[in-house]
Amino acid sequence: MVPTFLYIGLSALLFTIGVLGVLLRRSALMVFMSIELMLNSANLALVTFANEWQSIDAQIMVFFVITIAAAEVAVGLALLVMIFRRRQSTNIDAMTTLKG
Amino acid sequence: MSQISWLIALIPALPLVGFLVNAFLVRNERANGIIASASVLAAFAVTVAAVANLAMLEEDARRISVTLWEWIAVGKLNISIGLLFDPLTAVMTLLVTGVGALIHIFSISYMHHDTRPARYFAYLNLFVFSMLMLVMADNLLLLFLGWEGVGLCSFLLIGHWFERKNVAPGIVPSEAATKAFVVNRIGDAGLLLAMLLLVSRFGTLSFYGIDGVSGYLSQIAEGSFTFVNMGIFGSVAVISAVAMLMLLGVVGKSAQFPLFVWLPDAMAGPTPVSALIHAATMVTAGVYLIVRNHGIFDLAPDATWWVVTLGSLTALIGASAAVTQFDIKRVLAYSTISQLGFMIVAVGIGAYTAAIFHLLTHGLFKALLFLGSGAIIHGLHDVQDMRRMGGLRKSMPTVYRVYIIGALALAGIFPFAGFWSKDEIIAYAWYFNQNHTTAIMLIFSSLLTAFYMGRQVALTFEGESRDTDLHAHEHLGSMKWPLYLLAFGAIVGGILNIPGIHWLHDWLHPVLHEEVELFTWQMGIFAGITTILAAGSGYLGYWLYSRVLPDQIKSGEEDPAHYYLGDIWKGLELGWGIDYAYNRLIVKPYRHLAEFLHTVVDRQAIDGILVEGSARVMGRLAGFGAQGQNGNVRTYALVFLIGVVIVIGYVVIGA
Repeated sequence: MVPTFLYIGLSALLFTIGVLGVLLRRSALMVFMSIELMLNSANLALVTFANEWQSIDAQIMVFFVITIAAAEVAVGLALLVMIFRRRQSTNIDAMTTLKG
Repeated sequence: MSQISWLIALIPALPLVGFLVNAFLVRNERANGIIASASVLAAFAVTVAAVANLAMLEEDARRISVTLWEWIAVGKLNISIGLLFDPLTAVMTLLVTGVGALIHIFSISYMHHDTRPARYFAYLNLFVFSMLMLVMADNLLLLFLGWEGVGLCSFLLIGHWFERKNVAPGIVPSEAATKAFVVNRIGDAGLLLAMLLLVSRFGTLSFYGIDGVSGYLSQIAEGSFTFVNMGIFGSVAVISAVAMLMLLGVVGKSAQFPLFVWLPDAMAGPTPVSALIHAATMVTAGVYLIVRNHGIFDLAPDATWWVVTLGSLTALIGASAAVTQFDIKRVLAYSTISQLGFMIVAVGIGAYTAAIFHLLTHGLFKALLFLGSGAIIHGLHDVQDMRRMGGLRKSMPTVYRVYIIGALALAGIFPFAGFWSKDEIIAYAWYFNQNHTTAIMLIFSSLLTAFYMGRQVALTFEGESRDTDLHAHEHLGSMKWPLYLLAFGAIVGGILNIPGIHWLHDWLHPVLHEEVELFTWQMGIFAGITTILAAGSGYLGYWLYSRVLPDQIKSGEEDPAHYYLGDIWKGLELGWGIDYAYNRLIVKPYRHLAEFLHTVVDRQAIDGILVEGSARVMGRLAGFGAQGQNGNVRTYALVFLIGVVIVIGYVVIGA
């Protein structure tokens, strides 16, 4: 049996990688993938705690998260395609038209 | 209301109707003049009837109050629109309506072909109405209403020719009107404060009281008055404070030193206006005010000291300034200032009857002189400079004759009206008041008076015409009879109060309670000496300017006397430089202050720092905040993260 803290540690690691990916990568696609990574790290944490407490609630929550993530991917990728068509680039730093 | 009450109420109502009709209905020059004159003439007739009724009453009953309606009722303070008719009001009303009617009639011809006759006659009627309210009011507030009303009419009529930018001698009518109004406001503030003080101390503004409530004069007579804290002046008796504040009002309205500067400029108005408002009636309102409130001034010797001082200074300044003028109306304007000084001295030394006597005779002969000068100005087509006149004796014989009568009356030559009234004041000052300094100042002023009248007559009527472009003609029309009647008044006016007969004295006794002065033979000699001196001084002026100096009088040049006296003469000509002093001490510093407030306080402090400065600060702050809104998604994400860390950190650690 793998100890719980390793799962949690992996989850934290994945989440940190995701955060750094969002903050540091310029490509919108990579930012998108980092967000997915964070969602999945959260899923992993939920499943781990569900196992720890022998409770089903958190596992059900994971299904919701997966569903919403799938919907989000559909919308997000569509946006990404539209951005790429207009600008021939997915560089997120170039998208500053909302500058105040 | 009884019969006499109706008569009294009718007196001010008639000019008011005349004003309304002329102002709103009639637009025909001839009809305007006739309506205006008829309304004032009718008011005069009604006044005569009312005075006859009054004279039939017992002496103690000669005070009729007519309360028309309640005006202001606040708490205990109850002010009514009420008319008072007593011997003092009676003589003032006779003067206002009588001389007023003559001047209205005179105006019909004088203002012929004017561009705004309806306006002129309407304002003239409004003036008579306001003046009647002033002298007939039974309380100080209604008097103040009339006081302001005559001030307003004075303003409107000085500025009658507001479109002219320069009337002789270089005055702008609209500016002269404003000047008169503004200077008078200073005095009016004093009168207003006096009223407030009276209300706060006596709870009433009624002179003698009505319906069982005693008026403030009655309360003062009973000796109930206290002290009031006047700040830097320390604790002052209420009576003295009221008297000083009233004096301020008098100094403004009656053109006394140092506020007389508006009166010479007021000559920018039409000449009949100068005769009616700025010689015979309005400017004497201050004298009336003091005589009406003599109960206050009797008990305030410190205030009467100021009254006498200012009055005698004014008499001297006015007379000496009149000597140097070349404008025919300006001579008379300064002369009026000087004569008002005589009246104010008279009320200051307690010679109230003499003051009213001089007020009446002066009203007659000064109106005569002004109307005479108006006839000259009319005949010469608006020429007022005496340097361009000369020789009018031949071309204007009628005006010459009446003008001589007016000049003799003003100079105080026996037996014309001015002799009796002026010498009564001087004699009172010398004998009864023992105030020899004042008496000598007055005698000197009357010598100057005779001198400048001699000078004026010589310059205007004697010799040959100095300006061949002028073609004098004498078309008097309706101007003739007012001149004759006023000349008659100037000859016999003195009979009103001749020593030994003293009709006016007896008539005013119920109001003033003055003892008849006992005139001795020393006073006769005294009056004889002053008259001989005045006659000599008058002849000197006449002789100098008709025999010795006439060749040196040239249009646009200085008086020959300027050669000998230099800047003294110039200073006198400018009215002792009071205008100059005001300009230097008040107008210019005020302008500089306004300029400072405009550029530094308004432009820099308020606009620059407060208005634009606060906007600039907010702009900077917004710019600083907008830097966070850089449109970079990853920056936003970082901010999210920091926020989440702070919130979770707070929840985990703090809780």
